[in-house]
Amino acid sequence: MFKEIFSFELKYTLRKPAVYVYFSILFLLTLMIGLTISGLFETTRSDSNTVANSANAVGSILLGSTSSIFSILISVLIISISSTAIQKDYQYNMHPLFFTKPISKAGYFWGRFGATIFATLLVFTGLLTGYIIGTLPGLGSPIMGPFKVMHYLQPFLLFTIPNVLLLGVLFFSLTTYFRTTMAAYIVAIVLMMVQILTGTITAEMDNKMLAAILEPSGSSALRYVTEYWSPVEKNIRLIPLEGALLYNRLLWIGIAVLIGGLSYLGFGFTQTYQPLKWFRRKEEASTAVEPALLTLSDLPAVTQNFSGSGTRTQLWYLTGFEFKKMVRSLFFIIMAALGIGMMVLVLQFIDTIYGASTYMVTYKVIENVVGVIQLFALIFVIFYSGTSVWRERESKMDELVGTAPISNGTLFFSKFLGLSFAIGLLFLIASLAGIVIQLYYGFYQIDLMQYLVSILTNMVYGMVLIGLSVSVQVYSPNKYLGFFLALLPVVILPIVFGLLEINNDLAEFNSTGAARPYSDMNGYGGTFNQWPFYSLYWISIVGFLCLLAILVYPRGKEINIKKRWKLSAYFNNNRFKGLMTVCLLVAVSMGGFIYYQTRILQDRTKPKVAEKQSAETEKKYKRFEQLPQPRITAVTLEADIYAADKRLEVKGSYVLLNKTNEPVDTLYFDYAGGKKSPYHFRVFDPSVPFSVVSDDPENGIRILKLNQSLLPGDSISFAFDMYYEPRGLFDRINAPVVDNGTFLNNNILPSVGYNANAELSQNKARKEYGLAPKPRMASVNDSAARMNNYISNDADWIRFDVVLSTDKGQTAIAPGYLQKTWEKDNRQYFQYAMDSPILNFYSFLSADYQLKKDKWKDVNIEIYYHKGHEYNLDRMIKGIRKSLDYYTVQFGPYQHRQVRIIEFPRYSSFAQSFPNTIPYSESIGFITEVGNGPNDIDVPFYVTAHEVAHQWWAHQVIGGNVQGSVLMSETMSQYSALMVMEKEYGAAAMKKFLKDEMDKYLLGRSTEGRGELPLMLCENQQYIHYNKGSVVMYALKDYLGEEILNGAISRYLKKTKFSGPIYTNSVEFVDSIKSVTPDSLRYLVEDMFEKITLYENYVKALSFKEQPDKTYKVSLTVGSNKYYADSVGRETEAVVKDYIDIGVFGADTTKAAEGIPLVFKRIKMDQPEKTFEFVVKEKPVSAGIDPYLKLIDRTPSNNTANFGDKPKLPNLDKKGTTITLKVGD
Amino acid sequence: MQLKIRDLNKVYANGVKALNNVNLTLDKGMFGLLGPNGAGKSTLMRTIAALQDPDSGSIQLGDIDVVNQKNELRKVLGYLPQDFGFYPKISALSLLDHFAVLKGISNKGERNEIVTGLLQQTNLFEARKRNVSEYSGGMRQRFGIAQALLGNPKLIIVDEPTAGLDPMERNRFHNILSEIGEQVIVILSTHIVDDVKTLCKQMVVMNKGTILMEGTPAQAVASVQGKIWTRAIDKELLGEFRSRLSVISHAISEGKMIVHVLSDDQPEEGFEQTQATLEDVYFSTIAKN
Repeated sequence: MFKEIFSFELKYTLRKPAVYVYFSILFLLTLMIGLTISGLFETTRSDSNTVANSANAVGSILLGSTSSIFSILISVLIISISSTAIQKDYQYNMHPLFFTKPISKAGYFWGRFGATIFATLLVFTGLLTGYIIGTLPGLGSPIMGPFKVMHYLQPFLLFTIPNVLLLGVLFFSLTTYFRTTMAAYIVAIVLMMVQILTGTITAEMDNKMLAAILEPSGSSALRYVTEYWSPVEKNIRLIPLEGALLYNRLLWIGIAVLIGGLSYLGFGFTQTYQPLKWFRRKEEASTAVEPALLTLSDLPAVTQNFSGSGTRTQLWYLTGFEFKKMVRSLFFIIMAALGIGMMVLVLQFIDTIYGASTYMVTYKVIENVVGVIQLFALIFVIFYSGTSVWRERESKMDELVGTAPISNGTLFFSKFLGLSFAIGLLFLIASLAGIVIQLYYGFYQIDLMQYLVSILTNMVYGMVLIGLSVSVQVYSPNKYLGFFLALLPVVILPIVFGLLEINNDLAEFNSTGAARPYSDMNGYGGTFNQWPFYSLYWISIVGFLCLLAILVYPRGKEINIKKRWKLSAYFNNNRFKGLMTVCLLVAVSMGGFIYYQTRILQDRTKPKVAEKQSAETEKKYKRFEQLPQPRITAVTLEADIYAADKRLEVKGSYVLLNKTNEPVDTLYFDYAGGKKSPYHFRVFDPSVPFSVVSDDPENGIRILKLNQSLLPGDSISFAFDMYYEPRGLFDRINAPVVDNGTFLNNNILPSVGYNANAELSQNKARKEYGLAPKPRMASVNDSAARMNNYISNDADWIRFDVVLSTDKGQTAIAPGYLQKTWEKDNRQYFQYAMDSPILNFYSFLSADYQLKKDKWKDVNIEIYYHKGHEYNLDRMIKGIRKSLDYYTVQFGPYQHRQVRIIEFPRYSSFAQSFPNTIPYSESIGFITEVGNGPNDIDVPFYVTAHEVAHQWWAHQVIGGNVQGSVLMSETMSQYSALMVMEKEYGAAAMKKFLKDEMDKYLLGRSTEGRGELPLMLCENQQYIHYNKGSVVMYALKDYLGEEILNGAISRYLKKTKFSGPIYTNSVEFVDSIKSVTPDSLRYLVEDMFEKITLYENYVKALSFKEQPDKTYKVSLTVGSNKYYADSVGRETEAVVKDYIDIGVFGADTTKAAEGIPLVFKRIKMDQPEKTFEFVVKEKPVSAGIDPYLKLIDRTPSNNTANFGDKPKLPNLDKKGTTITLKVGD
Repeated sequence: MQLKIRDLNKVYANGVKALNNVNLTLDKGMFGLLGPNGAGKSTLMRTIAALQDPDSGSIQLGDIDVVNQKNELRKVLGYLPQDFGFYPKISALSLLDHFAVLKGISNKGERNEIVTGLLQQTNLFEARKRNVSEYSGGMRQRFGIAQALLGNPKLIIVDEPTAGLDPMERNRFHNILSEIGEQVIVILSTHIVDDVKTLCKQMVVMNKGTILMEGTPAQAVASVQGKIWTRAIDKELLGEFRSRLSVISHAISEGKMIVHVLSDDQPEEGFEQTQATLEDVYFSTIAKN
């Protein structure tokens, strides 16, 4: 029986064209991804150490396509193929026919389900086959490893099949039980939420494992089990079905089986209908007494109103009818409730830096509300436009409505408006929820205007989407295809555009052009310059689609579009045609205007073309790299910032000194160029006679020849006069000058000499253009490269003077000391001068600032901040004071007499140290809410300490432009900040910070594209110089002692500060540390700085015995393995002869989470495993090796174990960790 | 007001000729459209109701050109299709009000009056708060006719309205219909001969898209009066009789097979002349073609 039903159902399903449409879409999608990776399209290339056909990569592709919005598409697909397998019998009233036949329940139930789920799986093979074929052309190139069937098959077996089964059985069961697909859609949305939430929660380290197990698709679990894999592991290993991944798969397969079983048990041929409704209306007893018949002539006379007002009555009535139907549906209520739930959850976890959250400022709430609710609105619109358009036909009212004297337009727009009001209500609810959340978090500066603007823009976005979606449903021959077609431009098109690097917002559905996030300082930042044009563009296009849909609006039984067109041809009168023409005209003119603004005025070169140009520039100008050039020794500037007009005028002059040993007669300048550059130069003149050899504005390179050579030791001055002006209305949003909060630095000004930083950095791309591979940085000992510091290639230490002017009411700030300020022509002028040499690295800021002042000894402390952002000013000031306290004592004197922190808009979120000037983003410290818990990190304090440290580490000592120089700037600033934090908050408070740093380092090395390097040779790799640097320096301090380490550091600083060229390098730095390191720990310094070292420390066994004298005898066996990794993570085991901490901890956890150490000592691990015995006075709870995680270890959880538990032993045999699924391979 | 149908043709994509040169002229009163399933009745009704366009031909209602003035027609049309349903979870009262809006009755007071009146007229007033989707077959049909009567229809089309109704409901329905028939043009499509006999002034028999016969029921019966012969036969012999004579119908009555034969004279020994009925007309017309 099963067989017959199965094969009948399968044949029936496979006859549906939709099945092939879905297969093709999935197939084409991954085919395209594969082909793009294989390099068949004109897209840019970036270097990677990982291949695209490893099991891990295939798994990510198969799962990556389950991003939240795509997962809804997948759900629609599964629901439409498989979940109606039985429900359709109810829908078409076929069930009595089947249920009365002598078929078995099992045969019917499983036969129907089995066949459709099998068909669904066939559809999903499209994902796999598409990717296999797509990656074939890339075989043999470095981006692909050798072809291994299992690498494709295993992820498919591990993820796709169970996921399809899970979703299939879930949707099928719900649909069969409730006899409607609605329940399935609701669950699909709940699953999507779980996915989003687990994604958000994993931002918090401690929840990673839990999230990995709970997330239904297994993508979090895959990420979790592979998170610390080195590139080489990713390339060769299969996905290990163990740990979180195993639990995850078991959990969800179990849930699928359970649901399937339950719904089978609950299903019966006699099962009565369980309608999905909230309240059951009380049945009224109908009285049998029927009144006497009236005659028809007794019926009251009525007037039918077919004038404009009658039509309006109809439209409003029907709109209300549709609106009520929608918002009273369970679907809407659940969506709104889920949406609010999501908001509450997401907002808890969002925007955290080292676990510290930000205040519930309005934009933060809105941006997250927008993200969540917009997604919900999208789903709602897609779903309900189908339901609404098909409502008449599904309830067989189509002929009744079709013969009523009501126009197609009224019918169409009632649905359109009903949906619009429904999502309007959704946005309103979300906004109110947002306000309540703000109040709940005790944040009262609620900006209602932002809520209004967000509702307005969302409504326009939503109504464009509604227009599209309703029209598509009108055209579509069935509802499910309609869902799919409406989702195409919203979901698939952006993926395709992204892959092909098509950056065309005229074709990207519902795009609104360039936008800036809302900033408290700078408002919407010009976003609304282009918004109306884009909105009108989309409104008119979709308006046209709607009008077209009205002409083929379904009335009666005609399916054929042509016949429907003919049927309503009478409607297509001149007025209607005129309306359509207007739509087209508006679309074309808006499109034309946008095209003119963005493509004719602005340069919109495709990334691939830009890559090619960059290669050509290098070929043309590389020969000038070795050309001797004079260096900048002094900079004098007059910069005028016109905030309201977005203009900038700079008049400047450089003093150029020939520091070489030979005469220089050719000057090479690099300036802001480009095909359609908004920068213009009026003056570009050395002070001595010269001729122009060549000028290349497209590349921004000008070569001049001096009539008389500049002799060694001689100097000239070079003057320039330049201005910036946005190219058209739409370019204003790209302007570096903004209304309030301009932040510029010297990279907009001309520089001297060939700029190697502009070269293509990706070797894969370089190869394509015949360029030699380029090292990321010069070797640490490259003495030619060390003639430049790593910040500037045309200057060493300079004198700096500037006069800034800005709009009245704003304060303009640059490095240096304010000499005077004055007002002229309704503008405010500021003159700054620097009294000591600085690096060629300076910034200009301008905004309407508030000022908070303080003083530390003779140093002025000033914070320029935006009004309302007072939250953390005291923490910042404290950070500055404590930093100055520590650094001046430990490292050496501060070279300036002031420290200024200056806030800038959140377009970037960093703080950056310029000489005595620290621009600081509004999003990074100003609105951070610092908690009071022992684990809460005072982020503004830390960031401030880090930036102040740069005044020593970068602005006093600067390394050469070679590997490892960031060690003396970034790593040392991290270390300095850590020490200031430790002094202020205690060693215990550092733990969470260091754990985060270790995690970030291990994650970072896992996704390294070029090759990991030891700390000493770090090539500007953040996960090394920040994250590993913190861990290493903090451990080193522990091993050597703070005083000894700082002593070496301060001696190094004294020796190297303000010196160069030739600039110092990390070798000199490490040597100074080595000079204070005892021989016994020399290995440690080498492991930390010169090698990539990873430990696997673990507890093997632990036990204790209570002695008669109430003491406890503890036996602890610990093991330690050490590995040296190469640049791609290939490991070789090293002999362990290392000093490592061991400890035994008691029950008292009041002072530290892991307990008070009963024993804590540093031992020497001279064999792989070693047993220790101690006698302790208190009952021990846990014990372990390196319990404070000073050494880098990928499985820190097994460093300690509780007495009584069986310790988790590490799997030391790397090759044996993979469980292979054997499928005929 | 008159409904004039001229040379109406319609061929479906699958080649089925649903309307074949249909010509009709209808006056006020009840008009019966009789034909077997698949005769093209529904196509004709839908075409008259402007839910479909004919391939060729014209339909004129008074001075409304139906094919080109669909909206004008809709203003004066009441339509009850053969197969219809209702929105789920909506009461009769609200749904009839909904239809009243669709029909352009925008005055709320008037709408309430007519809706109440019609619900009383169709004996649904007591059940007005119940969901229409939970109505019995007869109530559904009565509700259907109520919505068709909204506005001031000049033309009412009812497609197979009594199929599946019990005799009581059918009677009730007939009463309503016959009253309507006194005032406007009513087209009643049915395959039940009795309906036409009881209700219609005019009738046509239709099959395979073609009008086979046109007239009043009395005229129709007169045309075959004296030509209908009947006899009880053995069931097994039916085939034989059919090949020999023009058997227009056969039915089992009290265990015997009764055949009706159309013939000017007594066809064979054993046949008796019988009073012709409309049914005989219907069957003979279908059989002839």
